[in-house]
Amino acid sequence: MPSVNTRVFFSKLDRAKYISHLDLSGVMQRAIKRAKLPVWYTEGFNPRLYIQFMLPLSLGQESLREAADFRLLEEIPHSEVTDRLNAALPEDIRVIETTVPVHKNTDVAAAEYEITADMDLKKFREFTEQEQILTEKKTKKGITQVDLKQHLLFVEISDRITLRLPAGNEFNINPTLVLDAFKTQTGESISHLKIMRTKILLENGKEFT
Amino acid sequence: MLYKNSEMMKKLDEFLPEIQKPARYIGGETGSVMKDKSEVDVRFAFCFPDTYEIGMSHLGMKILYGLKNKVPNYWCERVFMPLPDMEEQMRKRNIPLYALESLDPINEFDFIGFTIQYELCYTTILEMLDLGGVPVLASDRKELTPIVVGGGPCVCNAEPLCDFFDIFVIGEGEEVNLELMALMEQCKKDNSTKDEFLREAAKIEGIYVPSFYDVDYNEDGTVKTITAKNGAPKTVKKRVIRDFDKVYAPENFVVPFCDIVHNRAVVEVLRGCIRGCRFCQAGFIYRPFREKGKDTIISQTKCLCENTGYDEVSLSSLSTSDFKDIEGLLSGLTEYTSKNGINLSLPSLRIDRFSEEVFQKITDVRKSGLTFAPEAGTQRLRDVINKNITEQNVLDGVRIAFEGGYTAVKLYFMLGLPTETDDDIRGIYDLAKSVVEQFYANHDRKKGKSPSVSVSLSTFIPKPFTPFEFEPQLGEEEIKRRQKLLMDYATDRKITFSRSKYDVSLLEAVLARGDRRVGKAVYLAWKKGCVLDGWDEYFNFEKWKEAFAECGLDMGFYANRRRGYDETAPWSHMNYLVSREFFINENKKAHEGIPTQNCREKCANCGVSSQIGGEICRAIG
Repeated sequence: MPSVNTRVFFSKLDRAKYISHLDLSGVMQRAIKRAKLPVWYTEGFNPRLYIQFMLPLSLGQESLREAADFRLLEEIPHSEVTDRLNAALPEDIRVIETTVPVHKNTDVAAAEYEITADMDLKKFREFTEQEQILTEKKTKKGITQVDLKQHLLFVEISDRITLRLPAGNEFNINPTLVLDAFKTQTGESISHLKIMRTKILLENGKEFT
Repeated sequence: MLYKNSEMMKKLDEFLPEIQKPARYIGGETGSVMKDKSEVDVRFAFCFPDTYEIGMSHLGMKILYGLKNKVPNYWCERVFMPLPDMEEQMRKRNIPLYALESLDPINEFDFIGFTIQYELCYTTILEMLDLGGVPVLASDRKELTPIVVGGGPCVCNAEPLCDFFDIFVIGEGEEVNLELMALMEQCKKDNSTKDEFLREAAKIEGIYVPSFYDVDYNEDGTVKTITAKNGAPKTVKKRVIRDFDKVYAPENFVVPFCDIVHNRAVVEVLRGCIRGCRFCQAGFIYRPFREKGKDTIISQTKCLCENTGYDEVSLSSLSTSDFKDIEGLLSGLTEYTSKNGINLSLPSLRIDRFSEEVFQKITDVRKSGLTFAPEAGTQRLRDVINKNITEQNVLDGVRIAFEGGYTAVKLYFMLGLPTETDDDIRGIYDLAKSVVEQFYANHDRKKGKSPSVSVSLSTFIPKPFTPFEFEPQLGEEEIKRRQKLLMDYATDRKITFSRSKYDVSLLEAVLARGDRRVGKAVYLAWKKGCVLDGWDEYFNFEKWKEAFAECGLDMGFYANRRRGYDETAPWSHMNYLVSREFFINENKKAHEGIPTQNCREKCANCGVSSQIGGEICRAIG
């Protein structure tokens, strides 16, 4: 059956930040069913509604721009897909736009985060301005040593912190790794922490679309 | 404007990321009902005294939630028991137990209602009240609100809970819940006292106000008299929905963000049971048997699947295969479900009604597991308990399953049933063994595959409002001897056994038939830290034993004693429509090994028909 690859960008805010990546897939699948969108199912013994998410978001973090792909079996105006999904989704997940995918999942290279918290921002600036920021990172292969300094692609500190970090299947740095390293190194405390992913980016710094 | 408790959300945001599966503690799911608080007159905190995953799987809660929220000025919200990591943080931070819609503490509600499905949740009820900042003893709550109300099967003997609850709802809740809320609406307008509210509530059919009854005891510890006061009725008659086809059914569910035990659409197809298995409380307290119309069920299924987006629907009842036109129903349903990629599951099938046609339907889309419940190992004992199925029924059923490609079958049995002999126990293994042989008798079986038969062995628990309410539960030594007898007799490795823990069964038996004095032990056990007793990892029997010892109560008195036909039961002021004479007669027939025909074959004169008029019962046939 001919099907059209379709990509939705959506925000995941407030209560929805507690929906795990694994559960998000079920939430989105049921929303698609409620919206009665004609979508492609995988073939085989247990047909499943096909949906793919771009970049996992940690539990507790919010995002202004997440992406998911599925395939439409009929031509439906993108604005209508957006509206029908929004009518079916929980209020804290909002589809911003429906598009035709331009980039591939593997093209994702970085992400930008906005962090607000009760913390000493001056000390954090000093922390980021060091020559080297060594910390331990857990990976599937075990614990490895990384120099965070090399991975701070962009840092801006005003009343909040903007961080750009490597993201994707190959190599990913979670903003909490940076904050934890800060806490460990300085002994500073962080409370009322809010982490919001604002952008998903390509190698060249342009937005993933 | 829809209410939003940002302040509480902020407090929760402080620590929720550190909590296991935080999605169960924040609400906001699709299908959850938000209202404008300024337009709400009566608020109901509907509590399920277990975890979110268990409570959110319960159909009764979904029915009452939808039903109450349909009234514009009533707001019903959900409350579950947090797990220890969450509770610890809440206590540390002075966050009271809150409802998932408004995030408001439950002590701000007009009603705090518990559905009581299982005896081992009693301490959890106390923990939830306490965590919500509500005094656990009814006598310590002097104001009109909150009123603590309980319902569900366990309240057929609510006596061990009387110290904690203001009122109980006896029977089906669809009508009486709204009547109670209307009464509260009026009482709040009139500035009534709690006592005034209770007196009015006691006049509603199906409402039991425990403080309006005095209980006296004989010297031997049995109940002497139960006396009603303050105008309360001598016996409280359970509520029954007369037109079951028209009863409210939810058009939508709250669809959880995370996985829960039964994450699917559920449609009730019938209520009550025609069978009358003598150990089964549900088989008697939910009488009379009533079916929904086939078209009603089909349209409710469609509606629910479309609104929730679920790809699985389960038909709910005590015995779905007793639906009169089951094949017609399944044809109608599968026409819709298979076209829409929806899996249909039928959890409560009787093996003697397990035809190839029915089998075909449930395997149409995806295969769900197969479980059958012969309950006893020999025909003699199955006659005693009135489980009217034969060995041949069992073997035919599993043959169909094996021929259909299944290799795993689960069989439920009970140990310690009245009159059980060692032969009956060996019969459990022999029956399981015959099931294995059925697999090899199928010549078309897939080569290289072997069957797996798992036998689940629970301990018989005598329950109120059954013909076995007079029976003793076997003591620890004897239960363990019988379990061992079976294990030693079993040799085939394709048959695996799981058995229930003795301590848990004993406590369940004590609480099920306990009197008001047992409430003291429940309170003490809770004070000692007992909570979530239904969970193996939290169950602490030593503390329960201490609690009973400290209030001078003997568990054996409640669990292991044969009760005389002339003894006044602690629940004798409850009228569940089935007569005591019937239970006595059935008990006698059990000991003679005489089965009783089911409601469809012949009316057994259980008493229901004469109390509610015969037309509902006549429709069964």
